[in-house]
Amino acid sequence: MQTAEQCQKLYETLEKKINRNFALSASVCVHCGMCADSCHYYVATKDPKMSPAYKADKIRSLYKYRHDWLSRIAPFWTGARTLKTPEELEDLHDICWGSCTMCRRCTINCPMGVDMALLIRSGRAMLLAADSIPEGVKAVCKDQYEIGNQMGITRQDYLETIEWLSEEHANDVGDPRAEIPLDKKGANVMYVVNPREVKYAPLTLLAAAKIMYAAGESWTMPSEGWDNTNFGLFAGDDKLGGLMGQRLFEKAQELGVNKVVVSECGHGYRATRWEAPNWAKMDLHFPVESFLVTMSNYLREGRITLDPSRNKTRVTYHDPCNLGRSAGITEEPRALLKRCVADFVEMHPNRADNWCCSGGGGAMSMPEYNKRRLEAAIVKADQISATGAKIVATACHNCIDALEDLIRRYKLNMKTATVGELVAEALIWPKAAEEEEIFAIDGIEPVKLAPGEKRKKILVIDDEADVRTYLTTLFEDFGYETIEAADANQGMRMVKEYHPDLITLDIIMPKKTGIKFYWELRKEEKLTDIPVIIVTGFGEPEFPNVNFKKFITERKVPSPEGYVEKPIHRAELLKKVHDVLYV
Amino acid sequence: MSYESLVEFLKDEAQIAALSFMAVIYALKIWGIMKKNPIQDRTPNHGNPKEGVRYSFTVIAMPWEMQVYRDHPMKYIEFTIFHLAIAAAIASTFIIPYWPDVMLKSWIMLPSLLFIAAGFLCGLLRLIARLTSPAMRAFSVPDDYFSIILLNVYLISAMIAIPNSAATATDPMIWSIVLFFGLTAFFLIYVPFSKISHYLLWPFNRYYLGKHFGKRGVYPKNSAGLRAADL
Repeated sequence: MQTAEQCQKLYETLEKKINRNFALSASVCVHCGMCADSCHYYVATKDPKMSPAYKADKIRSLYKYRHDWLSRIAPFWTGARTLKTPEELEDLHDICWGSCTMCRRCTINCPMGVDMALLIRSGRAMLLAADSIPEGVKAVCKDQYEIGNQMGITRQDYLETIEWLSEEHANDVGDPRAEIPLDKKGANVMYVVNPREVKYAPLTLLAAAKIMYAAGESWTMPSEGWDNTNFGLFAGDDKLGGLMGQRLFEKAQELGVNKVVVSECGHGYRATRWEAPNWAKMDLHFPVESFLVTMSNYLREGRITLDPSRNKTRVTYHDPCNLGRSAGITEEPRALLKRCVADFVEMHPNRADNWCCSGGGGAMSMPEYNKRRLEAAIVKADQISATGAKIVATACHNCIDALEDLIRRYKLNMKTATVGELVAEALIWPKAAEEEEIFAIDGIEPVKLAPGEKRKKILVIDDEADVRTYLTTLFEDFGYETIEAADANQGMRMVKEYHPDLITLDIIMPKKTGIKFYWELRKEEKLTDIPVIIVTGFGEPEFPNVNFKKFITERKVPSPEGYVEKPIHRAELLKKVHDVLYV
Repeated sequence: MSYESLVEFLKDEAQIAALSFMAVIYALKIWGIMKKNPIQDRTPNHGNPKEGVRYSFTVIAMPWEMQVYRDHPMKYIEFTIFHLAIAAAIASTFIIPYWPDVMLKSWIMLPSLLFIAAGFLCGLLRLIARLTSPAMRAFSVPDDYFSIILLNVYLISAMIAIPNSAATATDPMIWSIVLFFGLTAFFLIYVPFSKISHYLLWPFNRYYLGKHFGKRGVYPKNSAGLRAADL
């Protein structure tokens, strides 16, 4: 592509990228220079061309030349300019790709609030249109477009790896039934990973599997749309960003999961949780959660127990920019680390103020800038070595790679670990359910749970307290967890709050009948799949001529999974419950 | 036009005309920005956008929340005095013509003069920094130098004009009033086009930034990890 054509495409993209936020960030900078000391490139090199204001001006000046009144009359006065020569284009390329990790540290330190990362990403989008893109980034984007993941892992390789890891996982936890499920419909969690975990860091994936096994989670990995990373974010390519998100979200919809959990990947989480729905123009009907949040919820809910003495080495935590500064996830990893390591120490500054690992913004895919990247990494090296820690924990694979690079470069006697790896190491296995005394009832065997497997939760809705007590006692004796509601309205609230695995439902109740409750439940998109067993008298004395079974099953809603008449036969009910939940 | 009517014209009609001009340009400028689409965020909140906006606006009064000001507290003091001194000088352009007696009270005049003088010193330090720091020089443009020099000259003119605010046309110091109000009128016309207009755009930018970071739970920033040494 000739320079003139490149410049034309670049300007066409600039016009498309201008939104209100861009225009403000491009107009409000006063060149106060306060941003310089917040940028690791500048702090490490003291090179004036590495200050954020200088770098952002390279994009800002192009905007001003076309959109600022004074700049259009007297461009020299405001530093506005237009691109003409290959050298100027090369200069912009060097600034946008090679001298900013889009970590946003300067943004939160800017008195004016200039979003430099927004400007740099827009600059990258302009360069992408002009085909001025580093080969490494181009290759990764191509793999994501064509193969669906950033490391070009074929579907067969992926499936074989998961199969192998599934066997490893079963060995790991000592339960042949344990697995890494693939495409399990109706699972609670769809777990999506960074391809690095599949290709180079399977221990991270195994650690996650172990934690979810211990928590008794119902989870699955998808066979498609499993890559949580998104180079659309780094390359300024909204189309790629949307495509990656769309693949993942559509798979989650297809599997009917309750939520998507993103493994420990900073930009992967940011892209999936925050940016991709905008790029893909999709309104999601399920939440996207970081695995840090999932793990800390397990801990809070008592679903996992940790023994910090299993990790005796001093550990510090590095906040990935995309989690701490762009997604507000700072406390969950600390809550976990304080419970799973014996000696946790903060690095300073931390949280949103933390220094970038130096490998963000796709920098690890641009070897031509390695020298500069590692030179700038001295700021991070000094920061982590000051902690005296021997392990730097972080929740981002990109940060792991960058930290390992700088640990080698500056000869620091440290290792890296993900938070999940440390949590998995500290897991205390719960008592297996079969060790507890649960006896057979009427010849029906009680539920046998795998180690760590969570009991199924049954919601009993019945207005008669005696019936509720009878049913909940029966179910609990049989190895289930129970909750109860005295009417349909309370029942609906509990369904929404606790999302039970099964509901037993009475029909005739005050305030609202079980029939109405059932129809409402089946109309709720998120609740419609919860199995229901009707437990009622066939001919209620008040309605001797009404055939309730016919009445409820002949409506245009799916039939309930079971229908048990009062007086209740224990064996019949327990068998029905078991079949609905396990067969 | 007599000297006296020139002074009166500069104090009144010229200011109103320049202010009106500024208001029109500002309105057009804001309209130009607001007609562009804001970034749409389809995802549910993690934090509170309103809290984020509140924090975004008030963080400027919390230097401990920004590392650059934690590391360079003198820069923050300089920044504060300089901006407040300019605000005081601007305020005096309204006080002198419309409430002339106020400025003549020594307990108002002297502190005002001292404050504006301190602001001038801070402005001078800012100019020196821009001229001597290689990083600052690298991105400074003529508008940056001109604006800071202009503001310093403006602060000097305010310092001279305020004690002579009651000067009549025959008073030898009347030139200070002419200079001060002449500069003010020039300012009002120049500022909307220059970088000094940042004070108009600042609230808009901080609003959108606060909303963005508030939604994501980044603002208000959690400073739980700050050590005493950081503060």
